[in-house]
Amino acid sequence: MKASVLEVRDVQKIYGNRGESQSHALKGVSLTIQEGEFVGIMGPSGSGKTTLLNVISTLDRPTDGFIQIAGTDITQMKQNQLADFRSQKLGFIFQDFNLLENLTVYENIALPLSLQGVSSSEIAPKVHKVAQTLGIQEILQKYPVQISGGQKQRAAAARALVHDPAILLADEPTGSLDSKNAKSLLETMTDLNENHGVSIMMVTHDAFSASYCRRILFIQDGKLYTEIHRTQDRQQFFKQILDVLAELGASHDVR
Amino acid sequence: MLLKLSLSSMRKMMKDYLVLLIGLVISITIFYMFQTLALNGDFTKQNSVISSIQLVFNVGSVLLAFITFFYIFYANSFLLSLRRKELGMYMILGAKKRKISQILFLETLVLGIISLVIGTIAGAGLASGVGSLLMKQLDISLEGYQPFYLPSIMMTCGFFLVLFLLTSSVNAIKLARATELDLIRAEQQNDRVQRKGFATVLLALIGLAGLAAGYYALVHMEELREIGLFIAASATTIGTYLIFITLLPVFVNALKKNRVWNERKLNAFTFAQLRFRVNNLTKVLGTVAMLIALGVGAMAGGMAFQKNVSLMAEMGKVYDVIIHKPVPADYEALKAMTVEEQNTYRYKVDDAGIYYLKDDLLADPPLINTIGLEDYDPDNRVKRVSTSLPSKVYSVYDHPEENLGPDIESMPPDWQEAVTGEFINSYEMINGKAVRIVDQTTYSGIQGEERSVVLARVDDFLKYKQELKEIDERQTRLYADETGAEGPQLYSKYTTYASLYAFTSGTMFMGFFLGIAFLAMMASCLMFKILSGATRDKDRYSMLRKIGVRQEWLVGSIYKELFVVFVFPALIGLVHVLVGMNMFSFILEEPYVGIWVPISIFLVIYTFYYWITVQLYKGIVLPKEA
Repeated sequence: MKASVLEVRDVQKIYGNRGESQSHALKGVSLTIQEGEFVGIMGPSGSGKTTLLNVISTLDRPTDGFIQIAGTDITQMKQNQLADFRSQKLGFIFQDFNLLENLTVYENIALPLSLQGVSSSEIAPKVHKVAQTLGIQEILQKYPVQISGGQKQRAAAARALVHDPAILLADEPTGSLDSKNAKSLLETMTDLNENHGVSIMMVTHDAFSASYCRRILFIQDGKLYTEIHRTQDRQQFFKQILDVLAELGASHDVR
Repeated sequence: MLLKLSLSSMRKMMKDYLVLLIGLVISITIFYMFQTLALNGDFTKQNSVISSIQLVFNVGSVLLAFITFFYIFYANSFLLSLRRKELGMYMILGAKKRKISQILFLETLVLGIISLVIGTIAGAGLASGVGSLLMKQLDISLEGYQPFYLPSIMMTCGFFLVLFLLTSSVNAIKLARATELDLIRAEQQNDRVQRKGFATVLLALIGLAGLAAGYYALVHMEELREIGLFIAASATTIGTYLIFITLLPVFVNALKKNRVWNERKLNAFTFAQLRFRVNNLTKVLGTVAMLIALGVGAMAGGMAFQKNVSLMAEMGKVYDVIIHKPVPADYEALKAMTVEEQNTYRYKVDDAGIYYLKDDLLADPPLINTIGLEDYDPDNRVKRVSTSLPSKVYSVYDHPEENLGPDIESMPPDWQEAVTGEFINSYEMINGKAVRIVDQTTYSGIQGEERSVVLARVDDFLKYKQELKEIDERQTRLYADETGAEGPQLYSKYTTYASLYAFTSGTMFMGFFLGIAFLAMMASCLMFKILSGATRDKDRYSMLRKIGVRQEWLVGSIYKELFVVFVFPALIGLVHVLVGMNMFSFILEEPYVGIWVPISIFLVIYTFYYWITVQLYKGIVLPKEA
């Protein structure tokens, strides 16, 4: 039995103060991700999936509920602890890459290690290793503007993984990529998951991207709607996903 | 229709426009303030110890115009950058380029005119405020200074209208040359660091040469005169700009190349920010360095003139107090001071001369200033008279010389300095009479009123201005009563000091006025530039927060980054000042006297400014914590 890397229990998130007009973004969501899983979160716009990602990634605090990552309860942490926790246990990939464009790719990847106080001599081998895994050794000395979107996202993935995080959180990672680059990235993520044991949680509303996951949670109106597992091949799973989306009455939201 | 759109978008970006407007208003205000002095020739001539003060102001005007030009230029490209995306979109939707250029041109002009009106009014207000504040603080009265001065208003309006016309045309041209896509993608364009080679080295060398030439001119101002002033102003300015453009980026890159440093904590980011900032800010930083130099220099110059007054007064007389025919009130006054030396000498006066008693003089030989004597020694300016007086009578100022009898000798120069230089505090006292030193027998034989003179040195005569003033008033009255002269001129140390003080106050006023103007300009310039780029940094900071950088590290990075940005112009500016003060060495005894005062004033303002900028910058870029 694998240990759970993420446990979310009865998480609520309410925006707006009491007495004002409040909006319930999350109305009691519970989920668990085991170590080594590749989980997708889907749902139409406004369903609360970004809010869920934000509270899990400690960028936002839940109003109520319990979140535990790698055995640590993050809801009780203070600001600095949260920042340190993010820099040590979490890896992020964003839709718009979020690379610092005034740093080289190498420096971008090295940043999380520098933040943890890893010495310069130990940083280099780690950066090169993760760059090799993602196939971006050639562009390490380039600046983000000098490389393609696909390369940027790989660089961002390298930065997310260089410090061996407990879980990789991906927010629409293929959103800014063309289909070829998107496919290549998804295959890389699958490889990371299957061959390097990286736990991944990916938020997306793209059924094709989602079909690479092993399990998908659907959210609607701030609540868990349903959950499907990939049992057959990816083509079948893709169809299955589309069916659920149609059921959600939000098929127009699918690209 | 487009006009309507443009108006509504201006309203939406009110905050950014407000920053721009404030920046423009400040620059106009300062320019106007400067012009109230620069164009008021009568005032500057009357209140300055430098005959060529008008030239100084003209050079200053040119410099300020130069800097203002850059400043307005930045402000306008900031305006264009605010609107790029939106204007690009109008173009994509089918608006004609000509029309859009027209609108931008109009916008710039309208903004310029609004700021011109506010700026001139604010300038007049500020000028009178600063003027009266300085007059109060410096304890001086300034006749003829007009905060609301028509020629200055004309000058300011004319200058800025031309400037606005020029920059808005440049904006329109820039827009005409850009394609729709360039505009839309404005924000994605990057801060790339260009590789620089031979050209940089050449420019750096030219910069250093310019600086060397400027410094040489400053140090040798006496020989070079007007040409020197021109060379100093232009060569130093060009040198400063070139050095900031070429050497500073090299320095920051060197910082970044140090791997161990670069990979510690947030340093990679801080240095990268710095490199980007430095590349963008070179010209602004050069400007700031010049403004600091001018501001602190102006204050230090004015201050030096003021401080040198007491030195000049010291040059004239060794003794701080000279009282002929002392009355009880004089002794009371002396008691109130810390007297280091006090001697009393008796003398007699008749119609033909003044006769000092030799015994008294030899008993307490007085101190003299050796400055006019052969054995002048700059390190030991003051000495005690030691020449012996074997003869019966010594004389000076006898008319004609043949009157000297057989027993009368010509007075030795040091004694002459003592009894005519130190003892006498008004020409009315001598009034064509001979001055003699006589022995006791001769003294007793002289028919004339016997009097005494008290000479005293105190620890610091500036501490007793009130007492000294009253003593001098009594002395003046004494001479007026005796000779019937109207308002006899006194030459005591205090009176010399007081008249020089009044004379140099005008210079000091101008110095502080200029100093404050330049420093204020500098402040708004730097802050405006830094803050206008801050929105672009926002994403970087929010990203850093996401990957888990502690807030305090982000804050630390901001402090570090802006510190370097602030410290370089300060260093170069201060070096300029320290070298530049040399140019006063041919009119002033000690140009560096009290230089720490303006430097501290500057440091206080500057540090405060640094802090404010950091706070504002933090407010813009730091993500709000949940």
